Amino acid sequence: MTIKRLDPVSGHLLLFLIILLSFCRLFPLILMKRLLALGIFSAMVLSACQPATGDTIKLGYIGPVTGDAAALGKDMLHGVQMAIEEANAKGGVNGTKVELVAEDGRCNGTDGASAAQKLVNIDRVIAIVGGLCSSETLAASPIAEAGKVVLLSPGSSSPAITTEAGDFVFRNYPSDALKAVAMAKYVKQKGYKKIAIISENTDYCTGLRDAVVKQVGAAGFVFNEAVEPGTKDFRTLFTRLQKMDFDAFITNANSDGIIAVMVQQFREQGFTQPIIGADTADSQVVVDTGAAAQGMQIINVPTAGEGKAFEKTFTDAFGKPQSSIAWGAYAYDAANILLKAVADAGADGTAMKDALYKMTYTGIVGTIHFDKYGDPVGIPYVVKEIKDGKIVTVQDLPIN
Amino acid sequence: MQLLINALIAGSFAALLAGGLALVYGVLGVFNLALGQSVLFGGYITWWLTQVAGWPILPAIAGGILSGALLAWFTFEVFIAPFYKHHRFLPLVTTIAWSMILDGIILLLFEERARSILPGTRRLIRLGAAHITVQQIVLIVVTLLLLCIVAWVLHSTSFGRRIRAVAEHPQAALSLGIPSPVLHRILFIVSGILAAAGGIFLGIDQNLSPAFSFPLTIRAYAAIIAGGKGNIWGAIICAYAIALLEQLVVGVHWFGFFYVPAGFQATIALLVIIVFLIVRPQGLFSSGRRTA
Repeated sequence: MTIKRLDPVSGHLLLFLIILLSFCRLFPLILMKRLLALGIFSAMVLSACQPATGDTIKLGYIGPVTGDAAALGKDMLHGVQMAIEEANAKGGVNGTKVELVAEDGRCNGTDGASAAQKLVNIDRVIAIVGGLCSSETLAASPIAEAGKVVLLSPGSSSPAITTEAGDFVFRNYPSDALKAVAMAKYVKQKGYKKIAIISENTDYCTGLRDAVVKQVGAAGFVFNEAVEPGTKDFRTLFTRLQKMDFDAFITNANSDGIIAVMVQQFREQGFTQPIIGADTADSQVVVDTGAAAQGMQIINVPTAGEGKAFEKTFTDAFGKPQSSIAWGAYAYDAANILLKAVADAGADGTAMKDALYKMTYTGIVGTIHFDKYGDPVGIPYVVKEIKDGKIVTVQDLPIN
Repeated sequence: MQLLINALIAGSFAALLAGGLALVYGVLGVFNLALGQSVLFGGYITWWLTQVAGWPILPAIAGGILSGALLAWFTFEVFIAPFYKHHRFLPLVTTIAWSMILDGIILLLFEERARSILPGTRRLIRLGAAHITVQQIVLIVVTLLLLCIVAWVLHSTSFGRRIRAVAEHPQAALSLGIPSPVLHRILFIVSGILAAAGGIFLGIDQNLSPAFSFPLTIRAYAAIIAGGKGNIWGAIICAYAIALLEQLVVGVHWFGFFYVPAGFQATIALLVIIVFLIVRPQGLFSSGRRTA
């Protein structure tokens, strides 16, 4: 409460001191947190630079700004920034300017939780966009829930968010339970009977794997292994795969950098089987592996924001997207959905939550509404293929 | 066969790091926790020279190695030399700070997306049932040559003897006319070169991302502990041995009926550290007698 009465600059100074002190106390943890400290510091400098206009609405952001998934997180952050700049250019929401407080969730639960703690309890944001990674969102949601702050994730797809996260947690990105249905349908269409899958041991990847295995049936999987997050050497596993008979390979990693390596090593060992990927494979980084990625099938939501005015505005402001314009589009929509909820219902968490359950929103990615679990309804799936250095959509994959 | 090749690839990378670490920590007794960042830095400079500045690959690699050497020199002058003489554990703190700064610099300069030094198609060679690419053969051979030269110079020449004398007692060495400050710097620069070479290896064989560079060094530490402090040959051999062990544990069909889950692969290096610290803390290759 006392922090609230201070002017913004000294408020941030005080915050910085608190963080500094807690860092001294947690010295051994500094190794783990060193990038986070950098992120907090830069976020504070950024927010301190914004003109102090007295009362502002604070919107929080959680996403990986550093680490393996940072390319995706950066695009999302830019999408949110774009939405806020546009809102402020129109005079803000109900006449109040919007201010962004960005935190680095580093694509893991620990940092996701501490980011949420800071946003909810210190910054007292009205709502949070994020996280990108399911680990971040799952860790942040109980904190948002307890503080009665709406959390809207533009990128987390773990089925666990449907079942475990509470009333205040929404997402405008569909659950992997649906993607698994789409993938199973695709596998059946193609007639693949024996599938090999390698997953990274993260919430997103294990969630997707379990859902796909459930949909296809465990008998369809001849090889199912999980590796430590961040592993970039899959040669041993591919050597084991060498002795097996399989029809298709599913690459299931948390970030595009890892998928690129996996695809490259798969082809280097002489495999000719088709490769199937999901949303994290839908990235220029994977395309850049050249011949290795040629013909790769990606099952994902339709490309969002590409070739529209949105892409031009985005690229003019932030340069070429680090991973894919789609992440910017989902985050842009998420921020706008929250700002609309504030405009409709005021800056009260419970009122915003009720407004969101009733809202139908048409944004860059399509027209959606939320079901009773806070999951989006109205986003279809498509099959894309990497063809001669480009990702092209080859077929629709309706899931009803 | 394929397992052996896999181990050679993974082991070569680990051995480059272990060699660099063995020079600084094993011989000089200084901790350099910014080593993982030097690896990324050397790799990223090479990536930038080839992909952005458009240099051919060989000068770009030379540039990357030069940048690694300069970075190591800078690290030594600013973050280690002023503190080392007061207490040998002080650089532990200063190099942590430096590694944080470097992480930030790498992020600012090279952005977040994953970078590959030689993107695109590889030429596959078949050796019986096994596969290897031309690039991997070159990487393995060059790594072995580089490491053997460093280890040979340190253990079998008079120059190497002087370096080890400096490591043992800088003042005594100085009084015998050995320029120990110069040799300290040379040792650091060579470790920087090995680290940068490791980064280039990683950038060519896999890709570079500004992720936590710390896990990179864990295997190197395991190799040093297993190989014995101060013995570069030991560190190199153990780096390859640990890589082979990692491949065997996960890749072999144990007793004909079960596979060890792949998630355990990363724990092998840590297990090696623990086992050696309990059973043979002085390492495999350190002998009681002094080698001159």
